[in-house]
Amino acid sequence: MIEICDVVKSFGDTRAVDEVSLMIAPHTICALVGTSGSGKTTLLRMINRLVEPTSGNIRVDGRDVMSVPAYELRRQMGYVIQGHGLFPHWTIARNIATVPSLLGWDRRTIDRRVDELLDLFQLDPATYRNRLPGELSGGQRQRVGVARALAAKPNILLMDEPFGALDPVTRGKAQEELRIIQQKFGTTIVLVTHDMDEATHLGDRIAVLDKGRLLQHGEPADIIANPATDFVRELVGTTDRAFRLLSLATLGEHVESGTADGEPLEATMTLRSAYSELLWSGRKAAPVARDGTVLGIVTLDGLGRLAARP
Amino acid sequence: MSPLGLVLRLAGLVLLVWLVVQPTAFAGLLALFTRPGQPSVYNQGSLLALTISHLLIVASAIAASALLAVGLAIFVTRPFGVDFLPVSRALANIGQTFPPVAVLALCVPLLGFGTTPTLVALFLYGLLPIFENSLAGLSSVPPPVTEAAKGMGMKPMQRLIGVELPLSMPLMLAGLRLSTTIALSTAAIGSTVAAPTLGEVIIAGLQTGNTAFVVQGGVIVALLAVLIHEGFVALERSQRRRIGL
Repeated sequence: MIEICDVVKSFGDTRAVDEVSLMIAPHTICALVGTSGSGKTTLLRMINRLVEPTSGNIRVDGRDVMSVPAYELRRQMGYVIQGHGLFPHWTIARNIATVPSLLGWDRRTIDRRVDELLDLFQLDPATYRNRLPGELSGGQRQRVGVARALAAKPNILLMDEPFGALDPVTRGKAQEELRIIQQKFGTTIVLVTHDMDEATHLGDRIAVLDKGRLLQHGEPADIIANPATDFVRELVGTTDRAFRLLSLATLGEHVESGTADGEPLEATMTLRSAYSELLWSGRKAAPVARDGTVLGIVTLDGLGRLAARP
Repeated sequence: MSPLGLVLRLAGLVLLVWLVVQPTAFAGLLALFTRPGQPSVYNQGSLLALTISHLLIVASAIAASALLAVGLAIFVTRPFGVDFLPVSRALANIGQTFPPVAVLALCVPLLGFGTTPTLVALFLYGLLPIFENSLAGLSSVPPPVTEAAKGMGMKPMQRLIGVELPLSMPLMLAGLRLSTTIALSTAAIGSTVAAPTLGEVIIAGLQTGNTAFVVQGGVIVALLAVLIHEGFVALERSQRRRIGL
């Protein structure tokens, strides 16, 4: 649980963060969205005290972050930044082992943990352990960056535009991976992004910031359907909000009864992908299947109703 | 390194050792530079002893400059030392502006003849390259890397020793290389105020009009400078590889 209460951060005369209060529930992903200069990164950096608030306070699991030494606080949280920030002179294994080493874990436990994480991110330990970051691709470096942040099994993961430097295909995979890992470990994630698609895709809740102020905080569907201000409406985008809404749910949650011909669609597919698939194959309906068993059907009309303003 | 380069460097090293340890072997060749009746091989002392003392003087002066210059560079790149950056720059620049000969001349009345004025001159002259290069090295550490080090929970000293110093090592070594090569040649001037360096050989040659002495002293100093320069270059290269550049 992260509680942010009336937090202000001033740089000279300007308020980078202006009286923001925000509750982030455990085991959820909260996306902080805004344009550059909105204060979203400053807000994130106040959680691990890379920036100290001018006034107000931040509590993590009930404890004020100012009450523990900054380095100790940071070792308890994962931190991922844009451009990964791996130590170029350390091997992949040593990079991942950064926080466990700082915490004084013994050699064996660290080695085991490193291999475990490399496996988790589908990097063969034997091949990658002893490589330098410079020898990896951008996508692999980014994964190592996330692995390093997760190494000491933190409850909280802070991510600052973690996928910003990746190409769209790699980014999509990295996002998928993050969702799976979050579900597996139940980590609380605070994610800073300027990409509304990423926010709606990953966030359980979205907090929209502009000029240091928190404009709206709610579930993605709610923000898309009822934007609180013109700025939020603009950020959500009016032309494709119906599709954004469709991208929030999977087929499995909206199966209709009936029968249809043709290749079945997977239940894990988002409604948006299913809609596109139906249009592409020129069908009005298609069967929905999970692991080979047909659950029912999905129809263009049904999807159309789901995409309409709630 | 190309095979030819390696052969050339090895040949240089062999020539240097030979010249220093057994100068009589070159008597015939050096005789070409003498006038009738002059000795062709330096006979006023041991070349080996002079070479060793030359190297020791350079090494101790540069070690002292490195200690102060790197220390200063670290200090002015810490949050509490930033205010001192302009002062340190000015200080190192002044050290460089004074010609070594002038420093020698000014030091003799204060410190007397001998090794000390030479050490002071070399020390002052060596500060700037090391300081500026260390500063460049420490400020060239990519911001995401320092940011990550901080965000992972490294303490300031752990960041300095584990991340900042290793990453700025190639540039620091480059500064050390510049200062050392300059000092190797400058140290020869120290013999004008009675420091025991290879400059003695050259000065003896100049005083008696014996070109063979000048050639011996000159070639040994030049070979030392070239080989030590190459040694530093190789070290820098291996450091660069180690940090994945």
